[in-house]
Amino acid sequence: MNIEVTVPGLLADSVGGKRKFSIDAKTIGQAIETLRREHPLLKVHIYDDADQIRQHVLVYYNDESIKWIDDLKRPVKSGDRIAIIQAVSGG
Amino acid sequence: MAGSVVLMVGTAKGMFSFQSDLQRKNWKMTGPLLPGWEVSAIHVDGVNGDRRIYAGTTHYSYGATIRASDDMGKTWQQMEARPTYAPEKGFKTTRFWQLASNPHQPGMLYAGIDEAGLFISKDRAQSWEEVKSLSDTPDRAGWAPGNGGLCLHTILFDRENPKRMWVGISAVGIFRSDDAGNTWKDCTSGLHKMESGMQDKPQICCIHKIVQDPKDTGTLYCQHHPGVYKSLNAGDTWEPIEEGLPGNFGFPMVVSKSGNLFVVPLETEEHRYVKNGKFQIYRSTNSGKSWQPCVKGFPAEPTFAGVLRDSMTGDGLKEGGVYLGTTSGEIFHTRDDGDSWSKIDGVFPRILCVRAYVFDDANQPAKKPQAKTKAGARRIKVK
Repeated sequence: MNIEVTVPGLLADSVGGKRKFSIDAKTIGQAIETLRREHPLLKVHIYDDADQIRQHVLVYYNDESIKWIDDLKRPVKSGDRIAIIQAVSGG
Repeated sequence: MAGSVVLMVGTAKGMFSFQSDLQRKNWKMTGPLLPGWEVSAIHVDGVNGDRRIYAGTTHYSYGATIRASDDMGKTWQQMEARPTYAPEKGFKTTRFWQLASNPHQPGMLYAGIDEAGLFISKDRAQSWEEVKSLSDTPDRAGWAPGNGGLCLHTILFDRENPKRMWVGISAVGIFRSDDAGNTWKDCTSGLHKMESGMQDKPQICCIHKIVQDPKDTGTLYCQHHPGVYKSLNAGDTWEPIEEGLPGNFGFPMVVSKSGNLFVVPLETEEHRYVKNGKFQIYRSTNSGKSWQPCVKGFPAEPTFAGVLRDSMTGDGLKEGGVYLGTTSGEIFHTRDDGDSWSKIDGVFPRILCVRAYVFDDANQPAKKPQAKTKAGARRIKVK
């Protein structure tokens, strides 16, 4: 299934200069793994040294944070979205 | 005069580059480069050869990576590899404090990072190797961060002895290697010790910056958290050199080509801005025996800014060029070894690091440009 991924402008140079691109996956977990594998620089900015999602980064599958999703084997549909966004970080 | 001086300024929100001829009167600004990223370390490798700029970049949310430019900052490549510890060590890579080339081994790039450690790359930042002899030291368990983090912020190579180097780590101390990094010696004898509260290392030295005398390689100077010091034996022992200083707390320290020393005394560690709201730096023209204020050219109005440890630097020219950037985003420089100072036009984000390079040629051809970030340019005049 074709999933649309969006990243913040600051991270565009981690994925070849694009803000939006597509990946192919059958499940949410597979989509995340594809992102990590195919875009190692993006992985550095999303995950910390302990391989946990950074405190101020959110990874959304459609309208759900993947932190809230228990079953990452859930199938995805074409047109689903993954969005990397910066959490509110004060200011 | 042929050649150019390029001043590179890393800020909390990007990097700015200023270019001038060797007169250093008029500056052409380029930037912001890497907008939005904290640029905490800048280094140009191969200044007059296969030139490449490295920048240590960090973001509060997105972490730290190293970026490189082969065309003087027009375009940047984010490096996939970065200095990181083996997972079992449990240490993080939160920031790059220092990037430096070994002058005796071209192609050897060093990185000083937070959490404190030293790393080497032999392939232009394509891969990194931890200098385990330093971070596996027995008292490593007692290293703890200070206000600025647990940062290895100074990497100093001996100009003459290719096997000798020093590193400075905040809230830890100074270490010297005399065998090209295989072993390290604690070099804090004579420095005022501070209580750490750590059982493994109850007393520490909070080093802020170390520099080497341009004439005598065995002479070092150090801005310590509680004092300004000099060593005549390559760091084996230290003695205070504070006569004439209004206070001994500060961060940066620079020695110009002539041997003039510069420090920026701040109010106490609780305040961290210049003394009495008056911006002035202090110079010693006699190897630290005494210090005098430099006031000509600095603003007369009340100023409550500071200068961070890597935000003052020299250009190495005979006509002593020293440059500093403040925490309130202003840049000052001297072209006469500290007699008078000028402000470079503009107010920039909080300045984290300043580097000056003298290039034989003004326009080194670009090498392997990779289109990423474009930046505008404009002329800057010195007031």
